[in-house]
Amino acid sequence: MFPENDIIDFASVLERIGGDKEFLNELIQIYMEDFDSTYNSLVQAVAAQDFTAIQELGHSLKGSSANLSLIQLREKAYLVETAGGEYNLELAQQGTSGLKTEYERFKAYIADRD
Amino acid sequence: MLKVLIAEDDRVSARILENHLKKWGYQVFLEKNGEDAWKTLDKENIQIAILDWMMPKLNGIQLCKKIRKRESDLYAYIILLTARSSTEDIVKGLNAGADDYITKPVEYLELKARLSTGRRIIELENYNRKLRDRLKKLAQQDSLTSFLNKKNITLRLREELSRSQRDHQPIAGILIDIDKFKQINDTYGHHVGDQVLVEISSRLKKRLRRHDQIGRYGGDEILVIAWDADSHTLRKIMERLRRAISGTPFETDAGPIDVSISLGGVTSEFKADITTEELIKLSDQALYEAKSKGRDRAETRETFS
Repeated sequence: MFPENDIIDFASVLERIGGDKEFLNELIQIYMEDFDSTYNSLVQAVAAQDFTAIQELGHSLKGSSANLSLIQLREKAYLVETAGGEYNLELAQQGTSGLKTEYERFKAYIADRD
Repeated sequence: MLKVLIAEDDRVSARILENHLKKWGYQVFLEKNGEDAWKTLDKENIQIAILDWMMPKLNGIQLCKKIRKRESDLYAYIILLTARSSTEDIVKGLNAGADDYITKPVEYLELKARLSTGRRIIELENYNRKLRDRLKKLAQQDSLTSFLNKKNITLRLREELSRSQRDHQPIAGILIDIDKFKQINDTYGHHVGDQVLVEISSRLKKRLRRHDQIGRYGGDEILVIAWDADSHTLRKIMERLRRAISGTPFETDAGPIDVSISLGGVTSEFKADITTEELIKLSDQALYEAKSKGRDRAETRETFS
């Protein structure tokens, strides 16, 4: 079955966590609480051209996004991680701004659902 | 409840793991970095650890190596958690000492299955350890009386003597011989003789203090090591042991039998640097004296005659 959108694949995340919707809401809360600080660190790392930090932060965001089957957020985080590994500043900037856009979309989507 | 450590800095991932594990009846300890994980693992004697590969301070691979290097009786079953799935990475993880790995994002059913493998290994490992400890104990014991055997009681005497010299606290050795034991065996048979031995061992053990030790020293001789025993305490202990045997007849398959013991004791109070051999020899002399003065009695020696 295809996900109904490219923001979050509910079916797959629910299957992964055993079908508990309330628990999924809790996980989304945690994700949102942590996103801002990780994202801010990433912006700083990009400004400082600290590629090791860019790679690590990208990796970390990729992991938590994948856990929740956040399709586009995971993609953008992967881009950032790759950019860090390749010392590619342009790609890092592109990925970082992509992350922000996707995060806003995700937030709006969740607010709508509530 | 089996304890599981989760070392994971990503809160979403950690929370998913924690939630599942608690539901499956594990006691969960959560840490966010490798160093804290190491401390908790050691302190809580945790035997299953799920370690994230990428972690601050000490990463999963480094922590894995550290766990394998430690000197501990407890085996820890390690599952590495990784977003990496290349063969090279998996081999690296296993070479660092991991037992298994799970790739992220973690699938509910896979995790459950892998944990039960870990649980099985740990249960087997713990059973083996218990067996090993039991065998070790058995090898040091006399099978009939469960006293220490001659080699081990002698070894303990040596250790206790050097400890007593270090702590300036006298210890005593008491050699015990069962009076006319040969006659008991000849009259009633070895089966009854064994019953007498077992009963003697049980009565003597009950009269000893917690730190005193007892072992079988040669044929029907028994050696007791009495801890913190000056001559006054030594006499009291010997008298208590003597009465424990001859005070009440022994119930055996051949009916009640009167049994008695003779005892020879020596304390290190008067000669702190006494050797194991000297102490045994003096005790033997004292025991001989007790025998020749009519048995069922206790004698002590302070110097060589």
